[in-house]
Order: sequence, then structure tokens, then C-alpha cells
Amino acid sequence: MDDIVITSWAPGSDPVDPVDQAVPAAVAGLLERAGLGLEADVEVWALARRDGRLVGCMGLAGDLVKDVVVDQGLRGHNLMAGLLTELRHQAVARGRTRLSCYTRPSLAAVFASLGFRALAQADGLAVLMEDDPRGVERYQADLAASRREGERIAAVVLNANPFSLGHQHLLRLAARDCDLVHVFVLGEDRSQFSPAERFALVRDGLAALPEHDRFVLHPGSRYIVSRLTFPQYFLKDQADIARAHAGIDLQLFRQRVAPVLGIRHRFVGSEPTSRITAHYNQEMRRWLQSPQADWPTIEVHQVERLEVGGRPVSATRVRQALAAGRFDQLAELVPATTWDYLVRRPPRAEPAPLGPPAPPRRQGGRSQPPDDHRQAKELSC
Amino acid sequence: MLISRPAVAGTLESGDATVRITPHDSLEVVVTSSVEAQYGDAVRRVVRQTLEGLGVARALVTVTDKGALDYALRARVEAAVMRAGDEPVDWDVLIGGER
Repeated sequence: MDDIVITSWAPGSDPVDPVDQAVPAAVAGLLERAGLGLEADVEVWALARRDGRLVGCMGLAGDLVKDVVVDQGLRGHNLMAGLLTELRHQAVARGRTRLSCYTRPSLAAVFASLGFRALAQADGLAVLMEDDPRGVERYQADLAASRREGERIAAVVLNANPFSLGHQHLLRLAARDCDLVHVFVLGEDRSQFSPAERFALVRDGLAALPEHDRFVLHPGSRYIVSRLTFPQYFLKDQADIARAHAGIDLQLFRQRVAPVLGIRHRFVGSEPTSRITAHYNQEMRRWLQSPQADWPTIEVHQVERLEVGGRPVSATRVRQALAAGRFDQLAELVPATTWDYLVRRPPRAEPAPLGPPAPPRRQGGRSQPPDDHRQAKELSC
Repeated sequence: MLISRPAVAGTLESGDATVRITPHDSLEVVVTSSVEAQYGDAVRRVVRQTLEGLGVARALVTVTDKGALDYALRARVEAAVMRAGDEPVDWDVLIGGER
């Protein structure tokens, strides 16, 4: 790494010298040449320069490493190691002690050599890796503390933004059919209602039900992957992104979560409106019900949506009624516990973005730029 | 020594190691090493001995070793511990001839 200089740059920080002022455009250019989109939520970049020219970058968003590009002509210089070392310091300074990344399978070996461990791979599209070699086992040990025995044990994963009668309907059907229902509330702060609010509304809503002793509530974890935080930058089309997300999330669920709690059933609402969610439900059958030597199958139960006024109840519909101030409509869509909360809820600002505003995303598709545009072959993920 | 905040020391260059340390309710040492087959146990031993010498009883210590020699490994563990704790550095222990 003789003549290579590694630095970091936080978007939005004041450029101090002329070199800094050129950084945003250089990063965008480097990503563009590698056929990657700039992810808007990157908080800080590790940058590698040689003779003033940008030859590598690696972004941090939350605890995700993303937008990694390394000039392939400099691979022997172990640029990835230098970038990751710098990014780790930046992460620790922000209180984040473990990192994960989604990468192309072709780069999994490089990340493995830097201390990352593959957790799940989807269809040759993407691999989820994390740099905590015992992270899953530690999570499983925590999870095992809430294991309860039963004949039929089910799980429901929901965002509950906010908890509605639709969610309640789904959970009650699961509880009537099974001895125990583990309920996972997604933990990402990307929704109108904060993770703490969503969790509390589910908890209070379930406590009021006659089946309340059949539910075990869990906060989200990094091993239950929300589509909201699934990165997209290295996959070209929406279908691949949806497939990669579903594959990784559902394998983690089947292999790392379900066995710890003895879960053999998963309940999900039918999806009449959103194509993406309908696709996810379809993928669920494939990933959970197909026979696998090491992992028991999990039966998928798709439950018809609860309808009110001839239309399915959805969290979107609840938020629309809330935005319109129609508390009369809300009363038909949410349980009393949620309604009470909504009526006296202080207005909340939109969820804070993870970092300062970033340059606008590239418009249009993520098509490869023409060949003559590629100044160097890049290793990217 | 009490580990009160996360810290990191070292690099991923060949012959070095990255040591990460975070507060934890017990002492857990996790090592991945590019020379695991030959020296994995030796790396773990050096890391544990160094932590013991510094009186670290509760921490999660994650080491990514790229073939660091003992003294480099010790230095990285010590640096990470110093950064993670609030106590003043006891240089007598660090540079003393007890090793």
C-alpha cells in the first residue's frame, strides 16, 4: 500500500481543501463506471487514492458495508483491506461494533478473508455476510430463552405500521390453529411509526385478546431482514432484488430462527394489492416448504385478508385514514389499543435518514455504461 | 480493566491483526486467522494471556488475524483495550519485563 492514501469522507461535511471538493463527483464517477448506483443512505465513505486519483471506495450505512468498488488493476495492493480498516474505525466511532454486507457471490471469498462469514446465499444473486463470527450463535442463545414447548408452533413476521385489525385477524387465526405463535416485529426505523411504537402497539393489542397467552413477542433482529433495508445497488433489476431479498430472509428464518424455537408453521396474509408482497409470499412456499436435509420444513398458511367496507384492511389504509384525520374510519380499522394511541399520539417527524442528505440517485435503470466509458475494470459488489 | 466502549485496533495487512473489543457480560474471544491450521490455538492463547495481563474479565474480543507475530498481536490487543477503557494506562504493566 506504498503510494496509496486511505481517507474517509462523510457526505454533507464541509469540504476543507480542493481535493475534498472533488470527492463527491469522483465517488459518483467511480461507482458509475462500475455500473453501481450511489446508495443515498451512505453516511461515511472510506476512500483510496493513488496520485490523487480515486481508485477505491467503500460506504457505511448503519452497520451495512455497501457501494464497494476497487480498481481491479490494484487488486494486489489489498485495497479492500485498507478500506475496510478505515471504515471499521469510522463505524466504531459511531458505536457500531459489527458490520454486515450483501455482496455478489464472486466477492464472498474476499470478504471472508477480511473476517466476514457468509450467512445465506440466494440463487447466486447475493450473499449476506457479517464480520461477527459468533453473531448468529449469540442471537440464537438469546432466542432460546423464549422457547416454549408445544405441538404446533407458528410464527408471524410483521412490520405493523401501525397494528391494525388486519394484523389482529391474522394472529388470532394462527393462535386458534396452533399452541404457540412467535410474533416478530421488524426492527428497522424506516416506517412512519418507530420500532418502539410498533412493538408496543402489537404488545398492547395482543394483551387484550383472549388468546394472549399463546403469543410470544420478539423485537426484530438483523437476522430477520426487512425489504426496507435490503440494499439494491448491485443488482440490476427489481425482480432480482425481490428474489435475493426473499431468498436470504427466508433461509435465515428457516435455518437460524425457526429451529431454535421449534417453529414449523408460518402464517401470512394474502396479498391482493402489492405485487412485491405477493411475490414474497410465493417465494415463502419455495424456501420454507421444499425438503432440505438439515432443516425441517415449515408449512406456509396464507390467510385471507380481513375486509372492512368491502376492501382489505391494510396498514396503508390505516395511515391514509390517519393522515386525513378520519378517526371514525380508523375505529373500524384498528383495535381499541391502537386507536387510543393514535388519538393522543404526538406528531412524529419522518424517520430520520441514517445520514445527511446524499447526492440524488442516478435516474433510470442501472444499465452498464457503454464499454468505452469504462476506464478501468473494477471489482465491485 | 473495565471495557466501557467499543474499540478497534490494527489493520488487515499481512502480518498484522485487527482486534475489536466491545462490552460484554463475560469474556468471549473469537479468532479467525489466515493461519488457523498451524497457529490458531497459539493466537488464541496470546490474546487470552494479554487480556488476562490487563485484567480484562468481561468483553467480547473479535480478532481477525493475518499472520501477526506474537508481539504484534499483543500490541493490537493492548491498544484496543486501552481505547475501550477509561482507566489510565499502566505503562509498568504494558512495558514491564514480566513477559
